[in-house]
Amino acid sequence: MSDSKTEQNQNTPDKLTSAISSEIMIELDKVNKWYGAFHVLKDINLVVHKGERIVVCGPSGSGKSTLIRCINHLEEHQEGSIVVDGITLDKNLKNIDHIRTEVGMVFQSFNLFPHLSILENLTLGPIWVRKMPKAEAESNAMKYLERVKIPEQADKYPGQLSGGQQQRVAIARSLCMNPKIMLFDEPTSALDPEMIKEVLDVMVELADTGMTMIVVTHEMGFAKTIADRVIFMDEGDIVEENEPGIFFGNPQHERTKLFLSQIL
Amino acid sequence: MAYVSTKPTPPRKPPLNESTPLGWLKVNMFDTLFSSVLSILVLIAIFFSLKSMLTWGFIDGVWIAETRRECFQISIDGACWAGIIAWMDSIFYGLYPRDEIWRINLGGILLVIWMVPLWLPRVQGKVFVGFSAVALYPFLAGYLFSGGDKGIFVQVMIAGAIVCLVALTINAALGYFKNANLPNVIIDRLGKNDAPEKQKRNILLGVLAACLVAVFIWQLSWVEKSISWTRWGGLFLTFVIAGIGIASALPGGILLALGRRSKLKAVSFLSMGFIEVFRSVPLITVLFMATTMFPLFMPEGFVLNKLAQVIIAVCLFNACYMAETVRAGLQAIPKGQFEGAHTIGLGYWGTMGLIIMPQALKHMIPNIVGSFIGLLKDTTLVSIIGLFDLLNILRTISRDKPWLGLHQETLVFGALLFFVLCFAMSKYSRHLEVKLSTGHK
Repeated sequence: MSDSKTEQNQNTPDKLTSAISSEIMIELDKVNKWYGAFHVLKDINLVVHKGERIVVCGPSGSGKSTLIRCINHLEEHQEGSIVVDGITLDKNLKNIDHIRTEVGMVFQSFNLFPHLSILENLTLGPIWVRKMPKAEAESNAMKYLERVKIPEQADKYPGQLSGGQQQRVAIARSLCMNPKIMLFDEPTSALDPEMIKEVLDVMVELADTGMTMIVVTHEMGFAKTIADRVIFMDEGDIVEENEPGIFFGNPQHERTKLFLSQIL
Repeated sequence: MAYVSTKPTPPRKPPLNESTPLGWLKVNMFDTLFSSVLSILVLIAIFFSLKSMLTWGFIDGVWIAETRRECFQISIDGACWAGIIAWMDSIFYGLYPRDEIWRINLGGILLVIWMVPLWLPRVQGKVFVGFSAVALYPFLAGYLFSGGDKGIFVQVMIAGAIVCLVALTINAALGYFKNANLPNVIIDRLGKNDAPEKQKRNILLGVLAACLVAVFIWQLSWVEKSISWTRWGGLFLTFVIAGIGIASALPGGILLALGRRSKLKAVSFLSMGFIEVFRSVPLITVLFMATTMFPLFMPEGFVLNKLAQVIIAVCLFNACYMAETVRAGLQAIPKGQFEGAHTIGLGYWGTMGLIIMPQALKHMIPNIVGSFIGLLKDTTLVSIIGLFDLLNILRTISRDKPWLGLHQETLVFGALLFFVLCFAMSKYSRHLEVKLSTGHK
């Protein structure tokens, strides 16, 4: 895995220029969540600006996945408020459906639709949710497949693709909805070492276009390249939050130091 | 010790080749001494049972005779197929008037025409073909089979069914031969290719409405003689009950399964109660309840004929079984599929209809078709409450004076008919599985 990291750092710039605007895209205020009696998220405060790229890391069970799943309401928070693109997440299903069209998400396990071809996977959302004419949706989808470098796979089924290809299709599927925010939930954790790089390359390119991104990952080389800010979580708390240079070079909190010493 | 490969190993053919008949025999039947002995024993058993069956059925069988007595005079040990042949019309059509049998045949042919587009490649709008067959065909067939006066609603539905059938058939032909579809061809012929989408849609709706009105006016003069349901029988009646049961069990089962998984407690509780009650009662009990108790719950003067009651009972019963099959299929779908669908903005019905149900139903094809086969065979129970389905007609033969006591032949014939139908369904389900497989298992 370390090979892929060094290689990636050779091919891509060490640090992308950031394009953060003052406009707030996501605002979490004192968000709390419990699974049964287990307190997963504790008083989480987080503000993400338009164009900002955030990497969230931490040990397993620290609540990092739950945090980003709350942002598009795959998990429901019990206390506090989450505002995405000016819309407050509450019981109103219309708001939730609307926010989900604005927020793309990529999962560890890809979650492609196995009964549909790659092209159909990509055009389903635009056609049924955005009501786009089929021909337009297809040409749009091909454009994104070219961007993730697998246009030749359009007529295959997900089961016929490698893990890295599937994950790139999943990224393209989210992009087809033209989202304002992209969430990544450990996108490379289920991949063979040889395939991690091809997915990370696509994500670096995406970051370079100024997309607002929150990425849960353990790929620290990738974090150094793209992140404007790194957030470290442990036991439901945000323990430390800093720009990547300082976060990796001079971590402050004992827990962060321990974590970094173990994974680097 | 260090080793570096100098050239790749070329692939070779596998040692035992099953593709030749001899190789197949060796691998599958005479692999070891034990399997050779077993194979020979089984072959001997098959030989003797086939031999006695063929002797009874074909070599000693009697095909032409006036009565069973005559059969015995020709061959005492052989089967008396002459009785089956004499009753053939009744076995297929029950007591349906003989000069009106064309109506049943026409109904069957129309159904086949309706369904053919589903099997043709390149045809567009197959989902609509399926839906319309379930929603419109029953009205057309119902009138064909029973005739008599028709209410205004039925008249509208018949007009809709005829227009739909013709349009679907033309659309299928265009798709199959020219890779086109009907709406585009109509627009093209009218020279409105460049018109905006909305205007195109209005033109199509106009054409549709004009066709509907024309067919509606034509069907006003279409009157068939009324034939009471009591004369329906034989394989025809079996098909009617099983057909309606199959067509309604799947949609009903899907709704009940979704209801049972619903987050709304009232819906979930009601669906669960409904499913559990019907599943824990034998079908024959449900049938008796439907014919004897159902009328007690209905308002005074509300009379539903026995056939309708039986069909409703069969539908409800099978919908409940189907609901559990569908629910099992739903449970096999990983949570990630729901989340994937949600993240591209699909709501509940979009997620279910486009992502979850297609996969769940595909996984469940063997079970669903298994239920359908069970349903087809269960229809024989209606003979107990006095409907003349296939089984009851067959038993009637043995009470007919010239053929008194003709039991074996009729039951063997019935078994053969059911076997052909069920085996065809089972084979078709296997074919569907292969066809729909997208290699993700």
